[in-house]
Amino acid sequence: MIAALILSALVLSVAMTIVAYMTWLERKVAARFQNRIGPYHVGAPHGWLQPLADIMKLIVKEDITPRAADRVLFNLGPVLVVVPALLGFAFIPIGPGLAVANHAYSFPFFLALASLTLLGVFAAGWSSNNKYALLSALRLVALVASYEIPMILALLVPAVLSGSLSLSGIVEAQRGLWFAATPVIGQLSLLLFLVCALAEGNKSPLDLLEAESELVAAYNVEYSGIKFALFYAGEYAHTLAMCTLAATVFFGGYLGPAFLPGFVWLLLKSVVLFVGVLWIRWSLMRVRIDQALRLNWLVLFPVALVNVFLAAFWAAGR
Amino acid sequence: MGVQAVSVSVVEREFGELALNMGPQHPSTHGVLRLVLHLSGETVLRAKPAIGYLHRGVEKLSEHLAYDQLAPVYERNDYLSPTSNSLAYCIAVERLGSIEVPRRGRFVRAFVAEWQRIASHLVWLGTLGLDLGGALGGGTTLYMYCFREREKILDFLETLTGTRFHTNVNMIGGCRYDLDAELSARSDRLATEIEGALPELHAMSGGTSIFQERTRGVGVISPDLALSVGVTGPTLRGSGIAHDVRRAVPYDAYDELKVEVPTRTAGDAEARYLVRMDEIRASIALVRAITAGLPPGAIFSRKPIKNPKATKLPAGEVYAAVESPRGELGIHLVSEGGPRPHRLKIRGPSFANLQVVEHLLPGGLVADVVAILGSLDPVMGDVDR
Amino acid sequence: MASASAIFLGTLKAMGTTLRNAFRRSTTLRYPKEKRPLPARWRGGSFALTFDPGTGEENCIGCRLCEYICPSEIIAVTLRKGEARANGIGATYCDVFTLDYQACMQCELCIQVCPTDAIVMTRALSPATRTREGLFLSKERLMDNGRRLLEETSLASEATGTKLREWTKPEGAA
Repeated sequence: MIAALILSALVLSVAMTIVAYMTWLERKVAARFQNRIGPYHVGAPHGWLQPLADIMKLIVKEDITPRAADRVLFNLGPVLVVVPALLGFAFIPIGPGLAVANHAYSFPFFLALASLTLLGVFAAGWSSNNKYALLSALRLVALVASYEIPMILALLVPAVLSGSLSLSGIVEAQRGLWFAATPVIGQLSLLLFLVCALAEGNKSPLDLLEAESELVAAYNVEYSGIKFALFYAGEYAHTLAMCTLAATVFFGGYLGPAFLPGFVWLLLKSVVLFVGVLWIRWSLMRVRIDQALRLNWLVLFPVALVNVFLAAFWAAGR
Repeated sequence: MGVQAVSVSVVEREFGELALNMGPQHPSTHGVLRLVLHLSGETVLRAKPAIGYLHRGVEKLSEHLAYDQLAPVYERNDYLSPTSNSLAYCIAVERLGSIEVPRRGRFVRAFVAEWQRIASHLVWLGTLGLDLGGALGGGTTLYMYCFREREKILDFLETLTGTRFHTNVNMIGGCRYDLDAELSARSDRLATEIEGALPELHAMSGGTSIFQERTRGVGVISPDLALSVGVTGPTLRGSGIAHDVRRAVPYDAYDELKVEVPTRTAGDAEARYLVRMDEIRASIALVRAITAGLPPGAIFSRKPIKNPKATKLPAGEVYAAVESPRGELGIHLVSEGGPRPHRLKIRGPSFANLQVVEHLLPGGLVADVVAILGSLDPVMGDVDR
Repeated sequence: MASASAIFLGTLKAMGTTLRNAFRRSTTLRYPKEKRPLPARWRGGSFALTFDPGTGEENCIGCRLCEYICPSEIIAVTLRKGEARANGIGATYCDVFTLDYQACMQCELCIQVCPTDAIVMTRALSPATRTREGLFLSKERLMDNGRRLLEETSLASEATGTKLREWTKPEGAA
């Protein structure tokens, strides 16, 4: 009991710190792509303390709630965005059989949690009593709910290939070969998952929810101060959780040569995937909502369906 | 106020219409433009632009200042290509006052104007990237690349004139700064560098299918609509009409230079994108031609300016237009003799181009609004003056 | 929609461009540790009322041409009569000379008309101050800048009145 509490506190604090430094990493990587330097003043020469400065600034900002906003949902929005993402880290195995909450159905539980952020964003968008936020909330329901389906179908493939619904089981089944290396099926699943994760995490080219240039800040346009900080952190936590999930189910999680401990391998793989997401994000422009939905229903969904059947035949054949 | 609020919400309840104010403060309205959009879900039903947020009373100020003082004032109108404004003004005054400009002066004025055309189109492309791709995405990367190239141009202009941007290089009767051999060589090297960067910019924008899907068939301006509204510039040439003031009514050195006028027939945002990219290449060819064929001689034909009130123009009126990166920028000058204009009207190209927005936006999505505005390339300083 | 291969290739090309740029040198200049060299004709700095380097006398003769030509009308000059100068440019001086830098647009028209090169723009970076009053340049401030120019002549912009008039001679510059 005590050990579980200590482990969960440890994982939570480490996850939060890594999430904070992912903001630093994003700014540095984005700057490199744009021939700039990124943060370098605060904590010179590389701006190490920039996340700390950002958090401190956001904490002391005035917390404004619009008079006509629905108070309960307005305050609930950021919480529903941040908590499920952080909670997801509890299910990721960081060592053989070692996770904060290691049980037989951790994989669907993780996915269910990841879907809760949809509720949080919708609550924020609707309760803000602001047309820009409402437009964003409308897009969200259309887009994120649609992209959930190919994502779950793509993620079914590792479950089918390993025959287990627990994340530990899926990692253990990759001792021979990473699922990403399974011919065609693995790469297809990975690609599908990546595209859907971009949509879920509001990253270019599918960042329609917070299309900065059209809807300004969209669903969090009325938020300021610590609530905005929670949204900001929640977005990075969600993306990092998705990357960690991909590292776990496609790239073997904590498996790796013994000269580094398991959780370091997991961290490395997650960060590499995160940088890959950044690379896509900072290179491509945004698609329109109808084009995004067309892509989903006409391309991703059929491919994901076919992929699951192929995976089932593959697994049955082995 | 209360009655108005009730009636708007009644409209929304009855017709399911959302009135969205893309207000003067917005990242994508290219300055302080207010667009009142009536939406049904994501589809635009009606759009009404409201301008005037950047009105500074330049035309009224023109009646107060003397001719020699006015050239730097107009540079702040179309602030993305400042010399176009002052060039139009100087040409108008020179035509009315029958002031001859030496050949070398005409070439140097055209030289700076073409470099500013390239710089303006680089801003257009970068901000189009920001509009389409967002402040947190690939659009910003394109924006940074465009501005990286533009900085080289501005540094060059800084060495030539002393300021990067509002250079005040045009004077009535010629220009103020001259090119020497070193600056000409530097200009040629810069032209090669910018030309080399264009494929990279194209790979980040028009070469990607996302950009093509966002701009193909979006905001189609038919030639009839363009002519009836008074659209000029790359917006007009994207709809198939090859009208360019540099060829139609040549001014400065353009009667001696070979001006290429790229045209496309599709009339959509992608056509306008391609026209402007071709125009960058055409301007690069022009600056190379100018440095290669720069005639010797003076750059200014009048005596040194002392008291501005000494310059008097004969009574009369004149209209002079130049091809700014946005279209036909005209100055209509009415003089009653005397050291000040009696009335000076500026025909801003963005003002006319923006009127087409009311016809283009309905039927599209909200995302198309920013694509269309970006492809029209309005500058609010030009619209409002 | 375009063909799948075209979509894929276009996307890959964009990502390849970004990756290639990630390995280029950054173009950021870390101001104020690194400062860029200012060109000779730079006119983004402050103003100075110059002194004759030979005799040390003020060059401004209070003719008010700069005041008349300024489009922003920020210069105010009054004339006073004084002792004849050794360099022969006259016996008039400026009594009051104020330049409100807040509205200056660095058009250089005042520099161009000055007959004695009295007013020049300086190449020192940032005329920035923390107060509005700091931007309102009085004659003392301008003469202080002018004395700094006596010690360090490279601080003045190359474009003085004489130079500008020489470049725009109707016969063509040398």
